[in-house]
Amino acid sequence: MLPRFADWLDERMGWRPVWEAIFLRKMPKVNWFYTLGSATLFVAVNQMITGILLTIYYVPTPDHAYDSVQYITTQVAGGWLIRGLHHWGASVMVVLVVLHMLRVIIYGAYKYPREVTWLTGVGLLLLVIGFGFTGYLLPWDQKSYWATIVGTRIAGVVPLVGDWILRIMRGGEDLSAVTLARFFGAHVWVLPASLMLLVGIHLYLVIRNGISEIPKKEGGKQ
Amino acid sequence: MEKEEEKEISRRDFMKITIGAIGGLIGLGFGIPAIAYVVGPALVKGQAQEWIQLGAISKIELGKPTLFKVKITRQTGWIVNEEELSVYVLTEDGRDYVAMSNICTHLGCRIRWITDQDKFFCPCHNGVFDKQGNVVSGPPPRPLDRYETKVENDQLFILGG
Repeated sequence: MLPRFADWLDERMGWRPVWEAIFLRKMPKVNWFYTLGSATLFVAVNQMITGILLTIYYVPTPDHAYDSVQYITTQVAGGWLIRGLHHWGASVMVVLVVLHMLRVIIYGAYKYPREVTWLTGVGLLLLVIGFGFTGYLLPWDQKSYWATIVGTRIAGVVPLVGDWILRIMRGGEDLSAVTLARFFGAHVWVLPASLMLLVGIHLYLVIRNGISEIPKKEGGKQ
Repeated sequence: MEKEEEKEISRRDFMKITIGAIGGLIGLGFGIPAIAYVVGPALVKGQAQEWIQLGAISKIELGKPTLFKVKITRQTGWIVNEEELSVYVLTEDGRDYVAMSNICTHLGCRIRWITDQDKFFCPCHNGVFDKQGNVVSGPPPRPLDRYETKVENDQLFILGG
């Protein structure tokens, strides 16, 4: 029954070659460090699911942000778990993305013909940091408030344009309702859209170019 | 011997089954809490009932519904609101009290006592109730809701929340 339905669907959609290109592609013999990218993708999906769920109750205004987060954590069934997964997943993202980058550096996987994969990866690293920075403000407690004061001040130190950057980040002179709203907008719309675009290109390139072999020792014959 | 090997599960199928099973577990791990999380607040019952002090019974005129307004706090989600509760109290003999909600049983508008006509009127769809709260005319499907009452130290209380 199921195989026949799969055939029926394939005849009309042609999903099988796509599936095979993604999951049944040829691979060199590699080690566990080569799973760090997939691990990152897995946690990214976790962040998406839990993040979407959090927006069901979270309200990004100074008079509701803190209370709505407390409501999620203490009142809503499973809210502590959803928020916990999103909170810890954020840290895990940064760790995994950095480890994944180190693997690519150490095994020289950024070289021809994979430079563009590397460049999109750099973009993704910046996006992940952006997610962390904007997401940190959203609980609107003392820690997030002062961390964002400091974070935006740091951006303000840039010569010449620093003050301008600080004002754009805060949406004005001070950290305010405007700041919270724009950090929320960036965190749930701008960054996710950019991330999905770049992840799409990144994965396409990984599949198109195949993954690199582990470099051999000089003169070594295997 | 060869036949037996054919029956054994291949490495590829074993991997398929294992990956499918782990994926299914992860899916359940997300799915069950997600459903509980979304549905949860819908299942929370209203606030517990408690006795609310309306005011002195001396204020109530015999045979005429008297309006009492009290402030109550109500929690919805993470927001605590102060709301005004309006209750009409009727007594014919100064001993038994009938406390009626001023919310029309049709679609929830606020009804008003008009002394000249000796009736409650709803401004929205012309619902009319008599002083006991029974429907006289119009679309309301049932009499005005009543609160349980008690008198303590000449103060009238209703059970609500």
